[in-house]
Amino acid sequence: MCSTAAVTSGESTYTLELPYRRSVGPVVGAFLTGLRDQQVLGSRTAAGRVIVPPLEYDPDTGDAVDDLVGVGTSGVVTSWAWIDEPLRKHPLDRPFAWVMVQLDGADTSLVHALDAGTADAVGTGMRVRIRWADERRGHISDIACFEPEVDQ
Amino acid sequence: MRDVAIVSFARTRAHAGVRETEAQLLFPVVAGAIEQSGIPRKEIGFTCSGSADYLAGASFAFVGNLEATGAWPPISESHVEMDGAWALYEAWVRLQHGDVDSALVYSSGICTRGDMREVLCLQNDPYYLMPLWADHVSLAALQARALLDTGTVTEADLAEVAARSRRAAPGNPDAQVSGDVTAASMAAEPYVVSPLRTGDCAPLADAAAAVVLVAGDRAREVCERPAWIRGIDHRIEPHYPGLRDLTTSESTRLAARHAGAGDAPVEVAEVTAAFSHEELILREALELGDTVEVNPSGGALAGHAVMVSGLVRIGEAFRQIHDHGRRRTLGHATSGPCLQQNLVCVLEGDG
Amino acid sequence: MTDTERPGEDSGPVRFMTQHIALDYVVRVSPLAERFGEQLRSGRIVGQRCSSCGLVYVPMRAFCPMCTVAMGEEDELELADRGIVTSFTVLTPIQYHGQKERDDYALASILLEGADGTVGQQRLTGMPLDQIRMGMRVEAVWAPPEERASAAGERGYGFGNAIEAWRPTGAPDAPTAEFAAHVL
Repeated sequence: MCSTAAVTSGESTYTLELPYRRSVGPVVGAFLTGLRDQQVLGSRTAAGRVIVPPLEYDPDTGDAVDDLVGVGTSGVVTSWAWIDEPLRKHPLDRPFAWVMVQLDGADTSLVHALDAGTADAVGTGMRVRIRWADERRGHISDIACFEPEVDQ
Repeated sequence: MRDVAIVSFARTRAHAGVRETEAQLLFPVVAGAIEQSGIPRKEIGFTCSGSADYLAGASFAFVGNLEATGAWPPISESHVEMDGAWALYEAWVRLQHGDVDSALVYSSGICTRGDMREVLCLQNDPYYLMPLWADHVSLAALQARALLDTGTVTEADLAEVAARSRRAAPGNPDAQVSGDVTAASMAAEPYVVSPLRTGDCAPLADAAAAVVLVAGDRAREVCERPAWIRGIDHRIEPHYPGLRDLTTSESTRLAARHAGAGDAPVEVAEVTAAFSHEELILREALELGDTVEVNPSGGALAGHAVMVSGLVRIGEAFRQIHDHGRRRTLGHATSGPCLQQNLVCVLEGDG
Repeated sequence: MTDTERPGEDSGPVRFMTQHIALDYVVRVSPLAERFGEQLRSGRIVGQRCSSCGLVYVPMRAFCPMCTVAMGEEDELELADRGIVTSFTVLTPIQYHGQKERDDYALASILLEGADGTVGQQRLTGMPLDQIRMGMRVEAVWAPPEERASAAGERGYGFGNAIEAWRPTGAPDAPTAEFAAHVL
């Protein structure tokens, strides 16, 4: 579904810029702070469901959630999709897989990129671990990407 | 509840690279829907439109579109930053109040001026997902993979949906792509994002569409065969894809139930599936058996105008009743990544 | 970028997330705007008169929004490049990221002779900013022919950079009655 019509002669482009400075609050803020410290937090509902990334409310009951718990930094791929030609804003500039990862201790999946080299190396059920960014600032990209969890 | 019917439907054909302004695109479509409706323009009691300023790349772009309606003297109108199907829903709700009897609904989108694989990222969670620029095709591919992993669907099934949609399209002069293609040829296309191949992903188009709704007996006065809205409902699932079971569409199932879709057999279903796997998920959620004809128009896979496709599906379901004499049809619209939000509209003709 | 409570400090709880989004859009010129731009390049301002209500519009449009009647080449008429300032504003440009203006400047809505609607956002020139007034008669300052844009597009009310600005003609101001209906 590549959509942009080629710019023909006589056509110009303009760029719409949207600069944001978003307040993150105590729940999203705690998660981002955790990432900076190489820790992943999830929110735990009254029913004991651990949601990663955390929500400020229970999606089933609507109750506020303020119970944050640590989950593992590795987990299982629950779905994947291979990108042969990354778009300019994708997290990696070489072929990679989008993945949904259920981290150890979490009941939901996180969406991110997996640096696995080839599509053959990717499959639902494989174990992956976080590759942390060298410089972290409290942002989802403090997780640079995931990588296959190779047995030591 | 007040009986409300669709009495007319007009649309542009779907194609990419439209050079007209959105208001210019809308003008003949709105005029056509009103003329066909038999309702004088000045009698229309309420107007509602659906579009997204992010497609136009300008805030309040939808305001300029109002010129196409001849909004003088001033009219009572509303707008949703949604597919026009939701504008139709709002108009239907408005007509329930009983003080006005007719409504104009229109929708437009010139999406090919921007890159939808970037623009639609803005509908994702701003903290967790938007910064990764996980585009809607990639997210759809994650859903397709999850569906394949259940073992109930194969890549060949996806190719069959892609091929069937394009084979149906020649019967529809408004479709963007069509052709006598086989599932085998669809299965041989390259991946865009695996497991989705080019044929699995709808070609993007620019378009405009409009319908006129009329309440009560007036619908029968102006229209030979109105399509009565027997039920209409929409439901939404949690925002973040990782929170959802992507292999089923619970919101579609709920919307269908509340719209009474299962109360009687449906002959034709026009569903908004911009990806082949979405049609399979929707068939299951809508409980469409083999006797139901799905997307005889070619569906979105034959040309997908973002923000317009859902209204077009309902319009095509109307055509099946009004032009082709069907008795009971269904139109479906969707919004958000991976079928996050879904609207079901059940239509019936008299007799 | 993210900010803690005290920007620059690494150790406090994260309280903000900055995000800069940039989306590119192709500018497409409608066939009608292209035609208007063609006329501008020849130094002509062309409008249309609605065959139903008689209102004169400039720039050209595909239909009369009052009558919802299509307008075509047969409805075209040339307008003078002179008019009346119906309203104006003097701007002191805030130096935000991307701002190109440095000094105070004036923008005006202008009722061209023979037109039934104003064109807006037109630059005024050739006079002290504190002497601009409603009713002032102005004429177009045309860009040299070779500098007029190849396609004006829908921006700048369609004039693009064919008309750089409008300057006072020196003629006596128009009486209020002549433009009062167009002030808003």
